[in-house]
This record gives sequence, structure tokens and C-alpha cells, in this order.
Amino acid sequence: MGNILEFVPGDSFLHRLNPITKIVLAFLFCICSLLSNNLLIQVGLLAFLMIIAFAAGIGEKAMGLLRTLLFFCILMIILQLIFMRGGVGYLVLPGGFPLVTSDGLYYAALFTLRIINATLPLLMMFAITQMNDLTNAMVNRLHVPYRYMFILTTAFRFIPILAGEFHDIMDAQKARGVEFDTRNIFKKIGLIVPLCVPLLVSSVKKVDSGAVSAQVRGFSLRTRGAGYKAYPFRLGDLLALLLLAAMIVLLVFFG
Amino acid sequence: MIEISKMGFQYSGSDRMALRDINLTIQDGEFVGLIGVSGAGKTSLTHTLTGMIPHHYKGDFYGSVRVNGMDTVECRGEDLYRIVGSVFQDIDSQMVASVVEDEILYGLENFGFSREEISERLENVLDTLGIRDLRYRALSSLSGGQKQKVAIAAIVALRPQIIVLDEPTGELDPESSLQIFRLLRQLNKEFGITVLIVEQKIMLLCEYVDRMIVMNEGAIVFDGPARDVVRHTSTFEDIGINVPRVVTLCGQLQKKGLYNGQVPLNVEEGEKMVREVLRGGRHAGI
Repeated sequence: MGNILEFVPGDSFLHRLNPITKIVLAFLFCICSLLSNNLLIQVGLLAFLMIIAFAAGIGEKAMGLLRTLLFFCILMIILQLIFMRGGVGYLVLPGGFPLVTSDGLYYAALFTLRIINATLPLLMMFAITQMNDLTNAMVNRLHVPYRYMFILTTAFRFIPILAGEFHDIMDAQKARGVEFDTRNIFKKIGLIVPLCVPLLVSSVKKVDSGAVSAQVRGFSLRTRGAGYKAYPFRLGDLLALLLLAAMIVLLVFFG
Repeated sequence: MIEISKMGFQYSGSDRMALRDINLTIQDGEFVGLIGVSGAGKTSLTHTLTGMIPHHYKGDFYGSVRVNGMDTVECRGEDLYRIVGSVFQDIDSQMVASVVEDEILYGLENFGFSREEISERLENVLDTLGIRDLRYRALSSLSGGQKQKVAIAAIVALRPQIIVLDEPTGELDPESSLQIFRLLRQLNKEFGITVLIVEQKIMLLCEYVDRMIVMNEGAIVFDGPARDVVRHTSTFEDIGINVPRVVTLCGQLQKKGLYNGQVPLNVEEGEKMVREVLRGGRHAGI
């Protein structure tokens, strides 16, 4: 599996939106999914999201993200089936105890869709936005201090680097005969915990060298106006925001 | 110009001097190679030039380091960064962006150049380093050699007078290493940029640098033209640095009194030496 936050290059309408618009849209979409208890509306929202994804050329990526979310969805389904006990019972056990209830099924479906609809937009946003653009737009337009945005960007950037490092350390241990392929999950965890020390040491080193490198390239000199690329708000941004705002209004009154 | 005099440094928390009694002058436009086993103080020495020692890495600092007459301890880091650019050992962690173009733009934006200036420099550096085709590529999709070129481009775009590189070919294959050295020589010759490069591959140093500095246990052991420095084969062995095989061969031939010409630094010169020795042998009837 590649990095789930990785950027997918493209030149679609969505790609060309202002980075700030994109993040606001993602949050507005999350709000939409939280506003409605109607199963059909949630299905509609998901369908809309997928249409957007395919239109932006990140359909495959969106499907990949869905697969990543699958684990949480299954967990949610199980929990809802266990705890929502109402309505008609199905699969009745000998003692008259229904294994599954109609309420359980309904809420399982609703909450699964809601989880997807609330998380997918943000993940999709990262797929169509360069972290760098987001940083610059936030600093230039919203006057967020650069320091904080740099921390955020760096954190994102280090995820794959540290993951690679972790694999290297694990391979080194494997070569020394540590059995990471054990079936016993507790034993496996026990074997992985000691790896945290070398990982921590090397990540601190890497972060430090990153900081030094940014510093010698004038990190501390950067001003709010610094930025070669401009991030203007265009008509498309306005239209997209209006569409989402309209969806929210509709959902508040009719959802 | 870099002037280091009676400089020493001890990292706080460490019980030994990382750098001892360093006296070094590097003129503008020199191409200097720095070699030594790990822990010899090479990286520390490069850090003193950017002011990272003692401003970022704390410790006891003795003596003085002057870059273009500015004392690195007293001057503001920002003034120093405009003159000295550095490329670090770890390729991945020194990148700040995810796309090549953004990576090069980063320093330019920070130093507050005008938009026209930035675009002129960006276009320029893409051509100089021959990475125009990589412009919109994601950094994660590049090979080690390409990444290193981008890292160098990001520094060259700032047009420093001095570039300090810490083992830039450490993670590269021989061909990419060679490319990096060719590139550095081009920058050195065409733009007069002073290059100080820390490098383990002695063959490359012999071939490309004007001047070689050997460090051991925090001190400078040898300093001079590569041809003069590599002659000290026994000291090199004591320290633990491999000398090129042509040099070893030359030493053995000299010991036997078969050769007394100049020390060969690459395979071609080695070939010439061997031919000469063989010819001499034939004359002597051996």
C-alpha cells in the first residue's frame, strides 16, 4: 500500500481550486454527513463523493481509501449489530434471542456510511492538494504562522520516511534471526516494541538534519508574503462553496 | 574566502574534542576535498562554516572561523547563509517539499527575492543542472542521484559563493557519483563557486579536486594538492583510509627503485606509469 495521503497529479476542476477552498469543502462535506440520519441521503452523499472522485481522476485512489477504511467499517457494523437492539429480530437463537435486529442493521449501515462520508472527503482533499500549496495558501491568505504550517507539512513528509526507516530496522532484526512472522499477536507486539528506541533515535536525527537544512536555506527569514506561486480565489471556488453551503442548508431543513 | 585559525570544538556532553587545532585557509574558487574515517570531524568542520556550530550544535568553541571576513560566531546566521550553501548527508530528510520545483523555490522564497528574479533563477538552475525534465516530478519518485542533483540545485539557485557538501555521493552508485562530481567541477569552473566536499571515495577526489585535506581524530593531518597528499600511503593505512590502487602500486614500484615519476591519480595515468616502467625494464634487460 502506498502512502494514503499521497498527492495524485492532475489538472481537473478540483485540482485547480484554491487549496483553502479544498480544505473548507472537505470540512463542509463532513458536516453534511453528520447532519443527516437518513440512510438514502448518506448513500446519495457517498455516490456524489465517488462521482467527484472519478471526475477529478482520483477514482482509483478513492477506492483504495475505501479499502483502507474497510476495517473501521466492519468494526462499526459489528458494534451496531451487538448494541442496537430494537425492531424485528432475525436469526433467532434457540433461547428466543435474535442475533440480528432490524434496528441493528439500519444503524450499522447508517454509521458505516457516515464514517466513510466524514473521513473520505479529507483524505481525498490530500490526494488533490500539494501539501506545499496548502501551506503557502494558508500562510499567504489566512495568515496562519508559517512556523505551524511547517510543522504540519514536515510531519506529513516524514510519515513515509519513518515508515521506510521502520522497515529497514525490522529487516535488520530479521537478518539477526528475530521472528517477526510469528502468529502470536502478543509475541509480535513484544518483538516490535524494542524497535521503537532505534526508530526514535534515527527520527530525531533526521528531523534535526531537516531543521538544519531548512535553516540554512533561510527558514527564519521567510515572511508571510514569501511565495512564488499566487493562490487567487476564482469563480470556481465560489461556485463550489455555494454548492456545499446549499447542501448544508437543505440538509438542515429537510435532512 | 574561508579563514579558520586555531579552532577547536567540543560538543557539550562529549568528553573529547571533535575538532582540534584547525588552521585552514581556503581561497575563492578552490575545489577542496575533505577525507577521513567516520568520526574524524569532517561533518563538524562543515558545520562550523555554516555557523551551525556553535549556534545550533552547542559546545565549547575555541579560535575563530571567518567567512569573507565575517566571524561565524558573531555574525547573524542569515548573512552567512547567503554566502555559504550546504548540502547534507541524508538526502531525504533535507528535502522540504514534495515536488522538485517547490524544493528549488523554497530557499528563493525564503530569501525574499522578487518574483522575476525567482523565475529567472529557477529556469537557470534547471538548465545548469540538466534537470528540466524533472521539474514537476514528485521527489519520492526520483532516484538517489536525481534527488541529490535537486538538493544541489536548490542550493545553487541561491547563488552562494561557497558550497559545502557532506558526502553527497554516499548513497549513490558509481555512475551517479561521477555525474555529481562533474557537475560540481562545472559549477566550480564556470561560476567560480568555491566547493568544499566531504567524500569517502578517494578515486573521485583524486580525479576532481585541486586540493585534498585529510582529517583524523579532529585534526588536519595532510593538506595539499591530491598528488602530494596521497603519497603518504603508510599514514593513510594507519588512519584507515584506502588509497587508490594505482597509488599503492606506484609506492611499491618506487620502493624497488623502478619508478620515480609523478604519482598517478587515475587509471590512465597508472597505465602510463606501468608502460614507462615496463619500457625501462626492457631497456635494463630485466
